[in-house]
Formats: sequence, structure tokens, C-alpha cells
Amino acid sequence: MRFPIDSAAAEGLACCHVCYKLVPEDRRQCPRCGSRLHLRTAASLQRTVALLITASVLYIPANVLPIMTTQQFGRAEDSTILGGVVHLMEMGSYPVAAVIFVASVLVPIGKILVLSWLCWSVYRRHHWSRRERTVLYRVTEFIGRWSMVDVFVVTVLVALIHLGGILKISPGAASIAFGGVVIVTMLAAENFDSRLIWDVEAAGDG
Amino acid sequence: MENRFEKTLAYALGAAVFLLLANAFPFLQMRSSGIENIMTLPGTAVELHREGYTLLAGLVLSAIVFIPAAMLCAIVSLAVPLRHGRRHAWLVPAGRFVYAMSPWAMVEVFIIGVIVSLVKIGELAQVIVGTSFWSYIGFAICFTAALAHLDRLSVWREIEAVQT
Repeated sequence: MRFPIDSAAAEGLACCHVCYKLVPEDRRQCPRCGSRLHLRTAASLQRTVALLITASVLYIPANVLPIMTTQQFGRAEDSTILGGVVHLMEMGSYPVAAVIFVASVLVPIGKILVLSWLCWSVYRRHHWSRRERTVLYRVTEFIGRWSMVDVFVVTVLVALIHLGGILKISPGAASIAFGGVVIVTMLAAENFDSRLIWDVEAAGDG
Repeated sequence: MENRFEKTLAYALGAAVFLLLANAFPFLQMRSSGIENIMTLPGTAVELHREGYTLLAGLVLSAIVFIPAAMLCAIVSLAVPLRHGRRHAWLVPAGRFVYAMSPWAMVEVFIIGVIVSLVKIGELAQVIVGTSFWSYIGFAICFTAALAHLDRLSVWREIEAVQT
């Protein structure tokens, strides 16, 4: 693989991904923190794509299955993620409905789409808007954990709402699937090496 | 230079005290038709486990208690030797642990989750916010401040400096 002329990789220097020390690439281990050295994350695109496919598959049960079941006076009522948003809107709590909609619907779907597109653009060695794509990646990486909000809401409701036989909330299978989506997309973002966006220069120049 | 680790240490110890308090007292309390129910922080996991969702219980408790607590231990074991410029065998593993784990500690996310839950419960019952809730917010502030004073690049430079 060829690297752009002004990159550290072209000079035979690897940046340690744990402590950011620049080390000659023939060293196997970082002399400062002892982690394995790579010029670029090994098989970054393959790993990211594999995790994205896993996340997309998990996202289906996360939305189709109930995330929790409310039992009130012996009547059980299932609610899905989207159903929860609609319910909050009916209650008139629009800001909270917006928070849940963004955290549970927009962010996971957006993350999967953005990371897939980034992988595709790196694979096709696109040249344009590299800075913007890097920013997009950073934003995606940063907001990923906020999707966990819905899982925590279910946790609190299940633990708190417990009134003998009158009222009770139980968790649903979607809570695990959705937790899985969040974890897998976070891992996908972690495995994507944003330096790959900048590596196309070599091909363009030569 | 010394001041930075002093601040980190102070915030980390403060966070540890708040986290202990947050686990010891009622977090939220609900009252409806004469029945009361108290939720504690460890109780959330116990309830999920009782419903058969042990995996989810482990995931939640890790994200809001175990990982932050382990990170606090690692932060303290970084800050204590570095404050005096001393080398120690655990500096490198502690440094790697703190930065590898930081995305998985979801303290602030949990607080937003609790606030959303309060809105959802509002229509069902009366909810009283307990001591642990406020302790957990204090913990979140101190924890974030401790991490903010632990700049990744300079910490590793410092570790390298004391080791040679």
C-alpha cells in the first residue's frame, strides 16, 4: 500500500493508537505503552462493514419486538421504541419525545448509514471533501453512546414501577437487541480508521 | 504541572465518595394508591435479573457503576505516582485502561435516561427524587472533571518522563 507523501506512514512512522507516540514502523510494540503497532488499523474496512451488518440485523428485532410491557389492572400492553415516542407525543411531552426519537431512531440509523457511506467512499478511493468526511466520522463516534438512553429508561421504569398486582412494567426482548445495536455500532466506529480517508492521495498523484 | 494531577486526584476522590453514597441510598421513590416502592441503583440490576434479563442487568450496571468505578481506581493509581513524579509498574496498564474504557462509561447518558423516565412516570404516579439521585449527579460532575483534567497526550508524556 502506498501512502501520501506528507504522511507519517510514508516516512515509515506509525502512530500508536493508544498513546499517540510516533514510532518507526519496524518496531512491533510501542516503547511507551506496550501496545501493538499498526500503520493503519488492520482490516479496518472489513471489520467495520461486518459490525455494521450485525447492527442492521439487530436493529430489526429492536424495533419490531416490544421494548417493555406495562401491566395495569391485569391488562398487559406492549410498547415498541416508536410506540413509546408516539405515546410521549400524545402526552404532550414533545421535548422528551424528541430526545427519545433522536437517540433511538435517528442516531442509530444515521450512524449505520454514515459509517457505511464512509466505508464505501474509502473503498472507492474518493478524493473530495476529506475534511468534511473526517468531521462526520468524529461526530458519529462522539454521539454513539447517547443511544443508550432508551435502555436506561426501560431499566429505571422496570425497577421503579412495581405496585403489587395493580401496575407493573417488565422489560421486553427489544431492550437487549437495542443495547446490542448501540454496542455493535460503537465497536464499528472504533474499528474505522479515519486516516484511511486521507490515504487516497498517493493513488491520485501517482 | 503538579497542580493538574492534584485536581484530577481531588475530583476522582470526590467522585468515589459520591458513587458510594449513590449506591447506598434510595435513588427514586414512587407512591401511588397508598403503595410505596423504592428503587436503588444496584436494585435496577436486581430487578432486571429477576425478570430474566441478566445480560441486560450486567450491561446496565457495568455502564453506570462498574466501569466508572474501575476507571476511578485507575485514575487514582495514575494521579498518585505522577503527582510526585514517581514511576510505578501499574502506570502503563492504568493509562491504557482509562482511555480504552472511557467511551463505555455512560454516566451522563444514564442521567438523561432517568430524567426521561421521570417524565414518563409523571402520569402514572407521584415520584420522589432520593438522596442517591443527587449523589449520582455529583458523581457525574466530579467524574467528568477528573477525566477532563487527564489530558491523554500529556499523561502519556508524563508516564514516559517518569519511566526513563
